[in-house]
Amino acid sequence: MTTVLDILLRLAVWLLLAPLLPGVINKVKAWIAGRRGPPVLQLYYDLAKLWRKGVVLSTAVSPGHVAGPAVAWVAVLSAALLLPLGPAGTALSFRGDALLFVYLLAVARFCTSCAALDTASAFEGMGVAREVSYAVLAEAAVITALLTLALQSNSVSLGTMLVPSAGAGAGLLAAGLFLVLLAENCRVPFDDPNTHLELTMIHEVMVLDHSGPPLAAILHGASVKLLLFAVLLAETVLPIGKLSPLMATAALAGSVLVVAVGVGLVESLFARLAFRRVPMLLTTAFLLSLFALLAAWKGAGA
Amino acid sequence: MIPGRLLLLAFLSLIVGLVTARRAPRLWLAATLTGAGAALAAATGVLAGGEVWEWRPTLAVGGEAVHLRLDAVSAFFLALLAVLGGAGGAYSRAYWTDAAHPRSAPSGRAWWNALLAFMGLVLLSANGLHFLIAWELFAVSGYFLITRERHRREVRQAGWLYLAASHAGTLCLFAFFALLAARTGSWELGPMRGRAELAPLFWLALAGFGLKAGLFPLHIWLPSAHANAPSHVSAILSGVAIKMGIYGLVRFSGWLPVPEAAAWTIAALGVVSAVLGVAFALGQHDLKRLLAYHSVENIGIILIGLGFALVAAAHGNPVWAQLAFAGGLLHVWNHGLFKALLFLGAGSVLHATGTREMSKLGGLWRAMPWTAGCFTLGAAAISGLPPLNGFVSEWLVYLGLFDAVGSRSSAAWVAVPAVVLLAMTGALALACFVKVVGVVFLGLPRTETAKHAHESGWFMRVPMLVLASACVAIGLFPMFFWPAVARAAAAWQPAWADAPVPEPLYALSACNITFALLGLLAAALLWRRVRRNGLSRAVTWDCGYAAPSARMQYTAGSFAGIITGWFAWILRPERHAKLPEGNFPAHAHFAEHTPETVLEKIVEPTGRLVMAVSTAVRRLQHGRLQSYILYLLLGLIALALLAFAGGGR
Repeated sequence: MTTVLDILLRLAVWLLLAPLLPGVINKVKAWIAGRRGPPVLQLYYDLAKLWRKGVVLSTAVSPGHVAGPAVAWVAVLSAALLLPLGPAGTALSFRGDALLFVYLLAVARFCTSCAALDTASAFEGMGVAREVSYAVLAEAAVITALLTLALQSNSVSLGTMLVPSAGAGAGLLAAGLFLVLLAENCRVPFDDPNTHLELTMIHEVMVLDHSGPPLAAILHGASVKLLLFAVLLAETVLPIGKLSPLMATAALAGSVLVVAVGVGLVESLFARLAFRRVPMLLTTAFLLSLFALLAAWKGAGA
Repeated sequence: MIPGRLLLLAFLSLIVGLVTARRAPRLWLAATLTGAGAALAAATGVLAGGEVWEWRPTLAVGGEAVHLRLDAVSAFFLALLAVLGGAGGAYSRAYWTDAAHPRSAPSGRAWWNALLAFMGLVLLSANGLHFLIAWELFAVSGYFLITRERHRREVRQAGWLYLAASHAGTLCLFAFFALLAARTGSWELGPMRGRAELAPLFWLALAGFGLKAGLFPLHIWLPSAHANAPSHVSAILSGVAIKMGIYGLVRFSGWLPVPEAAAWTIAALGVVSAVLGVAFALGQHDLKRLLAYHSVENIGIILIGLGFALVAAAHGNPVWAQLAFAGGLLHVWNHGLFKALLFLGAGSVLHATGTREMSKLGGLWRAMPWTAGCFTLGAAAISGLPPLNGFVSEWLVYLGLFDAVGSRSSAAWVAVPAVVLLAMTGALALACFVKVVGVVFLGLPRTETAKHAHESGWFMRVPMLVLASACVAIGLFPMFFWPAVARAAAAWQPAWADAPVPEPLYALSACNITFALLGLLAAALLWRRVRRNGLSRAVTWDCGYAAPSARMQYTAGSFAGIITGWFAWILRPERHAKLPEGNFPAHAHFAEHTPETVLEKIVEPTGRLVMAVSTAVRRLQHGRLQSYILYLLLGLIALALLAFAGGGR
């Protein structure tokens, strides 16, 4: 019974806090541009509105079209539940859950991609092609980062891998994971969440034909994914296990906020990359993780 | 001796099927299904009980005493053979009918039974000579099944290529078994791990079995054979026949000592096959060719597991090796199941539309919802997505590799690139199958034929549903299948006997089940919400363009363009384009084709060179007696010189 309650509590944390992050990023962007900007809670209002709205479906779509966002949302949430939440640890931890984490994110990608191709739109096909192609490099970077953590902690379970700090390679790993975070969550310089030209989008173009509650599921899932990467990044760098519970919670919350501000700053100060440059930046992310791996190898061996 | 009786029943049923194949297709089907069921029961019995069934009658074939043996390794492959043999047989009943193929269908049924029987015999033979005989008969039955449509040129070419490659492999195996028999003094096969002098022979086995398994540079025969065979034959070729190569490698790496270099080679070739297999698959526009290249990829994943287990065996560290090996072995089953499912799905598409060209399909879910559903499930499974079976076996391989990295031994240096490339393979496979599902089944029909497709009959649907539910079952309840894998692994490496179900497998199973249920629940709830909020239909967002057409959808080629660009160094795509020019462009076209690079850029030029040299040498042979006498004279002088030069000693 306590486990169920525990899981429900965690679920509530993820569900309720996640939409805050895009609000913070937008506030930072507005602040730098000298605007007042939308309220921090804007995404909550949007989600509530979308949940009540009617749906317009394309005449081309199959009955599975609505299932795509639903399953993707469940997949992202399940991946989030595998991550330890600071001092609270994980609800469910087993050897190899790190790999389940990576592949659950892949399930979400599969579902959103199929739902996008379902609409028979050339724009969405283009977006999906970019999404699945760049994901190849992002996945290489993520798995290398996990390999580094596994080597560092002698474990393949997120609950123990993320407890110590990443040691010698922490800085490299943080840089690599930050780049992956930007790519996987479709932020500048990989993608521009505010663009209005379909030809230059990745993620936004994939959800063009979604509306109402399915769009709410997609937006909420995206915010959970952003929070998930921010938490992963923070726990990789911070020695959560060595701090007192209160300190650890504060450190985790603080660093997630720092990541959000960082994303906002990058978004304000950099332009989106040309698409042919994207693979190079992702390869850089992979190389950073690889160097972190070598550092972990040497560091513990010496 | 229950396995013995069941095997006898299976054999007799296959014979009955063979006899009745021409006249009584219903009886043939019943007999084949009985045979498959009996073989499955025998294999299950051995895998569950763990005892070895052996049969040595006082009967000699070719001067050698018959010796049949069913241990856990053989039974593991026999179970797969039985399932796919039954499913494919039932499928062919509606797919390759007498009405549509009056000449080739009846004999095709007979060859089907022959193929099943000879593959079974390969698995049972414990005598080198009989193994070779069964192997050759199996290869030849495969040839006759591939060339069912002999009137088509590309089918004949594919058949010849298969036969040539198969015989090149058999040649290596002849050398392998003959040398083995010469060194041990007997054709009897069995465990001889202690005899280090036999180790170099394993290289011959690697070449011979590797050709059949289709590992990367030896895969040249595979795409065209799989693409041009009838789909139920492609399913069994890809599901079981290439696994016979894996069986050979597993069998003889378990029985014979393996040189360490060969272990490293297998692991490296596994990684290369996995990445390049999926890269080539992305470049294909023929649905069945694409699936065939994915066999190369999955064979690679299996060999990563086997290779690392062999590397570890050389280092006396069987802890992580067991996970990698079990993962590779389970992937044998998994790949057999989902690849057969995908080939049967592709067969249904071909049956309904008459084309394998993906750019001529699209929107098939309307006409073929069952096929679309099964194919999508198979696509998710082959991409290694939870909660399906592909993920379970890849997860086991990953665990082995992660532990190999953690061991910081020399194996770790190969395990790091293996992990990274395996992850990339997974993401590439996902990209490839999103492409296939999206282009073939989703969207709008691109042509009239795709618009007028029809769902296939129950004889074709039920085998697909059976295979799909097997994929789900292994994904959700892997711990029930672990004992079979563990028994086979223990038969390979006796030190691993009685391995309990790994604890994390239960947790993974719980996660998979929960995830599957929650996914279904969320989809249902969201759908209810959508219905309640009100649902209206409109055209897909087209940017205000006035005359959208189904041909404007993203194509398979453009979808894969980014990734095939990264791999252009090996794919060497051939582009034929006439770009639109001028203010009023009249005509433009673009075509792209990814050739089989190894075959067309390496094997064929080498073959042409050999032919050219042979033609040049042939000028010496012209039938003029004077010249022959001259050759004799020259030869004698040369010999005399040699004798004088050497005679001084």
